[in-house]
Amino acid sequence: MDKNTVPALPRLAASKEPGRIRLFCRKLGQQRALAVMSVPFLIWLIIFKYLPLWGWSIAFQDYKPAKKFMEQTWIGLEHFKFLFGDDRFLRVLRNTLAMSSINLFFGFVTAITLALLLNEIRNIAFKRVVQTVSYLPHFISWVVAASIIQTTLSPDGTINQLLVGLGFIDRGNEILFLGIPEYFWTIFGASSVWKDIGWNTIVYLAAMTTIDPTQYEAAEIDGANRFKKMIYVTLPGIKSVVIVLLIMNIGYLLESGFEPQYLLGNGMNVDYSENIDIFVLKYGIAQSNFSLSIAAGMFKTVVSFILLFLANNAAKRMGEARLY
Amino acid sequence: MGKTKRIWLLALTAVVSLSMVTACSGTNNAKKNTGTTEPTSAATTEAEPKQDKVTFKIFNGVAGSKDGNTNETTIGKLLEEQTGVNFKLEFVVGDLNTKIGTMIAANDYPDVLIPDAAIEEVLNAGAFIPLDELIEQYGPNIKRVYGKSLNQMRSNDGKIYFLPIAAQVNDFIPEPEAGAGFWVQRRVLEEAGYPKITTLDQYIELIKNYREKHKDENLTGLVSLTHDWRFFATSNPPMHLMGYPNDGNVTVDTSTWEAKTYAGSEATKKWLKVLNDLNANGLFDKASFVDNYDQYIAKLTSHKVLGFFDYRWQVDNALNVLKDAARKDPELDGYKYFPLPVTFEEGTPDAYLDPPGGLVTNRGIGITVSAKDPVRIIQFFDNMLTEENQTLMSWGIKGETYEVNEEGRYHRTQEQIDKIDEAFRESFGFKYFSWNWPMYNTTSTLANGNAKNVASQPEVFQMTLTDKDKAILDKYGVQTYSQLFAEPVPRPYFPAWGFAKEQNSPEQLWEASKDELTKKFFPKLVLTTPDKFETVWEDYMKEFGKLDTAGYEKWTTEQVKAKVELANE
Repeated sequence: MDKNTVPALPRLAASKEPGRIRLFCRKLGQQRALAVMSVPFLIWLIIFKYLPLWGWSIAFQDYKPAKKFMEQTWIGLEHFKFLFGDDRFLRVLRNTLAMSSINLFFGFVTAITLALLLNEIRNIAFKRVVQTVSYLPHFISWVVAASIIQTTLSPDGTINQLLVGLGFIDRGNEILFLGIPEYFWTIFGASSVWKDIGWNTIVYLAAMTTIDPTQYEAAEIDGANRFKKMIYVTLPGIKSVVIVLLIMNIGYLLESGFEPQYLLGNGMNVDYSENIDIFVLKYGIAQSNFSLSIAAGMFKTVVSFILLFLANNAAKRMGEARLY
Repeated sequence: MGKTKRIWLLALTAVVSLSMVTACSGTNNAKKNTGTTEPTSAATTEAEPKQDKVTFKIFNGVAGSKDGNTNETTIGKLLEEQTGVNFKLEFVVGDLNTKIGTMIAANDYPDVLIPDAAIEEVLNAGAFIPLDELIEQYGPNIKRVYGKSLNQMRSNDGKIYFLPIAAQVNDFIPEPEAGAGFWVQRRVLEEAGYPKITTLDQYIELIKNYREKHKDENLTGLVSLTHDWRFFATSNPPMHLMGYPNDGNVTVDTSTWEAKTYAGSEATKKWLKVLNDLNANGLFDKASFVDNYDQYIAKLTSHKVLGFFDYRWQVDNALNVLKDAARKDPELDGYKYFPLPVTFEEGTPDAYLDPPGGLVTNRGIGITVSAKDPVRIIQFFDNMLTEENQTLMSWGIKGETYEVNEEGRYHRTQEQIDKIDEAFRESFGFKYFSWNWPMYNTTSTLANGNAKNVASQPEVFQMTLTDKDKAILDKYGVQTYSQLFAEPVPRPYFPAWGFAKEQNSPEQLWEASKDELTKKFFPKLVLTTPDKFETVWEDYMKEFGKLDTAGYEKWTTEQVKAKVELANE
């Protein structure tokens, strides 16, 4: 038990009730080492995260590089109107949401399942091997990973050979997996799971180590089998970690990634593979229409913020662990 | 060891190291003095023989070689001796637009900029200085080389902002190898008895027959490159099959100078129908539509692919691998590819050889507003364009990298050819000076009749051929590959893909939308069952009809006519 509880800070203002500001100053004085350490990061945050927000003004201009700020023409919400009026944008929005939901759901389910299973393994050597093998793909860049996936799924690739060998399809009728638009989301989801499952389990495994072993003993005495221990002890034990991660990931719902879609996408599956980032690249940056890119980026940020806020609020109401 | 001896030793080392330090700093100072002093502009008249040495920075938007100084190469050293100018070259790494965008945003440029595809942004940002007066004052050779085309080079405001990468000078000699074509494995031709192939039907028949006879070898009839921006390797053939040169998205009629798009034409339909039939017969490689460029190149070197259409610069890597292999083992010669001048109809002259044309005016080299001393730079460019230096840049030094026979013809000995490998090209400077400078283009000749481009000199070309090469060329009664192709017809506007388009303009939007549409529908059209081909084509036409094709054609025609007019002035 002790190892989980943070040593309580000495109560500062128990007797006298000094003003809040004085309290703050005193605390600051006591924790000056911490305060000093956080200064560089605050500066970093301001320079790299807040100052660039100034650039959002570009979304309301007919931006031309090399012109001064005052010389730009302001055109109001023109770019936003174009975005939301464009069929293509609505399509890429759908793709983005679909792919990141798939990613979110399967990412969580598979990683938690694998973590639970790994946690049950008593043979350390075997556990290490499984872990290493499963998180290795995380370190391959998407460029290489996409090549592996493309080769595996090509007409003369492993999957097709397997299908032919098992007699599901005839030779000569090999399936062009990446050429069938409807398959793309599945391929994308499976690839993401393959690539990140091992990596994602690490945090859950770490959370599981904090569960007090006496709880398992108690459960065992009460007659719980392995499966029940998993459900009634391990899962509740990592619940707070899961929820915090979920909230954070919901904030990234409009960030379905760029590389896998870009690298695996082709003319045939474009209806399902193109997401907001690729749209921005194609119609914004590649055409030097920076204003449009910024407008799309702004939309993304605002929506992400709202989603994050809602998720956090929901967690708060349910009395669960939350981000802030 | 005695104490005194040690002291002596110490003293000696001290003296030596001291003198070394002073010597070093001495040379350093000297270098600094010559290296970065800005020469006063008054001093830069042509009469002045020796000028201070300067180093200018140049950024090249095409990834090519490693960064470095031109005066570290033999050619660059000679040019520095003539002009006192050294260039520090930096090549693009990563994304060109990002790099150029950063320069524009910071308003900080290298002295000289080769922005490649990002030239419109650079011009819009006003990063280039106008060159008119400089050329007038310091550019006799620039005027000689670009003379005819100076008017074509002018921007909308009537000024010249950059020098296009290469200009046609003197006589036109086509390259000894065609720039594009329908390629076929040599063993296919050999087995068929070296027939004369000029139509698409004959070409397909040839491949079909060979596949038929070698059923169990798991061969692919035809592959096509579709990856990303390289999709044009699949969408361009209709233009060539109709007998037009590579104008990009349009074909241009030389009698009326009308430009017409062909992406939705009968020719495209015909081409796709052929692919569709091939696919139905299992002769087309379905994976063409999902493979990336590397996979495509790997397939071409796998010996399994019988034929393909592409531009030579795109498949050079694959062809060179096969060439090297065949050089080591002549048995493998049958896997090398042979280019054929294929058109739809018998009797249509092909146009796979790029015709003598105008200038490519959407690529070039310019002096930026940040340049320290534009006069010295333009003088360097002008000096580069002299006959002697053009010879130096492509042929090298007489007696060292080329020989001259009694008739004044330039050639290389076998020994010289062997010597000039990639490392030599780099150290000698052929690599730095092969591309993207103001220069004569590769189809030009020198004033004495020799080819500017070494590979185009028939004498040199003959030496690069193997016995097998000679044998196969002999079967067709020609000495070079390009002799199989029709003689190119001059087109003063050529190439239409080189017309500068404004960012975010309707033209650019048309091209982007058309690309997206073709990338989506061409695979469908090829991979569908033959009976559904017509319906898919109708769907495609419906979508294609939504584009402002007429507007695009009108714009292109205007550009063509303007260029032709300027050329006729």
